[in-house]
Amino acid sequence: MDRSGVRIEVKELLVSGLRLTVQAGEIADEAPIFGHAPDGAGLGLDSIDALELVVLVEERFNVTIPDEDVGKRAFASVAALADFILEAKAA
Amino acid sequence: MAEAIAITGVGQVSALGGDVPALATGLLEGRCGIGPLTLFAHRGRSAVAAQVGELPAVESGLPPAVARRLTRSDRLALVAATEACRMAGLDDAVRETMGLCVGATTAGMLGTEEAYRRWRAGEHRRIRYSGFAGMPLSTVGAALSQVLGLFGPRSTVSTACSSGALAIATAAGMVARGEAPIALAVGVDSLCRLTYAGFDALQALDAAPCRPFDANRRGLSLGEGAGAIVLERADRARARGATIRAILLGSGISADAHHVTAPHPEGAGALAALRDALDAAGLSPDAVDYVNAHGSGTKHNDETEVAVLRATFGTRLARVPVSSSKSQLGHCLAAAGTLEAVVTIMALSDGVVPATVTLRVPDPAWSDLDLVPTPGRRAPLGVAVSSSYGFGGHNVTLVLARPEGRA
Repeated sequence: MDRSGVRIEVKELLVSGLRLTVQAGEIADEAPIFGHAPDGAGLGLDSIDALELVVLVEERFNVTIPDEDVGKRAFASVAALADFILEAKAA
Repeated sequence: MAEAIAITGVGQVSALGGDVPALATGLLEGRCGIGPLTLFAHRGRSAVAAQVGELPAVESGLPPAVARRLTRSDRLALVAATEACRMAGLDDAVRETMGLCVGATTAGMLGTEEAYRRWRAGEHRRIRYSGFAGMPLSTVGAALSQVLGLFGPRSTVSTACSSGALAIATAAGMVARGEAPIALAVGVDSLCRLTYAGFDALQALDAAPCRPFDANRRGLSLGEGAGAIVLERADRARARGATIRAILLGSGISADAHHVTAPHPEGAGALAALRDALDAAGLSPDAVDYVNAHGSGTKHNDETEVAVLRATFGTRLARVPVSSSKSQLGHCLAAAGTLEAVVTIMALSDGVVPATVTLRVPDPAWSDLDLVPTPGRRAPLGVAVSSSYGFGGHNVTLVLARPEGRA
């Protein structure tokens, strides 16, 4: 798995798993997944979506998100999530 | 007589369509909305239901996080509630003061079943939270409040098939007691496997579209939808320039204390609810021009219900049209009482007696009665009653009238 491939897969998972109305290709790599950045970028997802997303990511990529601290780092953005998945797979 | 409450808006979505004009057309044409069940797979005795075809789009302006998680029941409720609020001409400031009572029996159960099915089928290795988010009955009211901006008192009632009628009585109580100047009553249920399989297992479903009051009736047909009614004090409605569509003159609520599914054999509770509703309205049975019956199409219900009507109206019953909207809308469970109140309000305001459209061979025991076989007909109506009876003996009767009084 390469980094850009994982990023694309993450975006597609977000769109299909959470039934987002945006296209996967419209999601920016660095934009926040939860809430919004000061410049308005981001998907605006909330705490309920977080519960769902943890399960989606763990299931799809066979990784474990053990606690909230790890979750916060991993779900900061699509780029961060892709890196987390690659690191977890490499470990 | 308790203070009469004005009805200034109604809304609906059902098998007959996604708004009040569609229902009006269906009533006038005597359409039956019961057809093949396609919402989910079911193997059993019955395969028909009064299913909502295409769910109308919910008003825009929803936060995306809310919109994505709305259940089918939430969406049905929103369609009806939005229409009722629009008809009542409510602005944001009025809606902020609005109370809400929702009648529901299954809320987001359909989504819960789907999450469970996908987990059982191995499509999801872990069960999804989102499938359960809509399961508490209270979630419908929460969604309605959030979307419509309602800050008044809110409650959810669940009394089986009378929930929707009880929601109206409860919302009217909020207004009458001054807890809210205006209140919204919503009855809603989407079809789901739980209720469909449950009623089928009870052998309560007719394999054909239900035939209330017919000699060959075999049970009910399940339906789905939502009805919504805006209630407020008549003087306040006039003060804000609203059009009063109908008046809720009174309601009667009682219990049977008898059996988990069967009605009381003499209809003691149903009789008390009808009597109490007329008392609350300050009317004698002679004032009633039309009865919108519970009319579920089960052997026991229809027998008990006619006995209650005979006991109340005596020989005059032969001259009072009695019909069942379930022949057109199916039995929409918690939505039934509200939808049937909407039908009754439209019957009053349009001067149309809705038909029992599937009635072919009236039960010979009732050959003297006017059970309004298809099609419906035009007739001026001043006062009407609408009754709803739920499993476990939950009885509610509403007395509704044209705003200008008797026809």
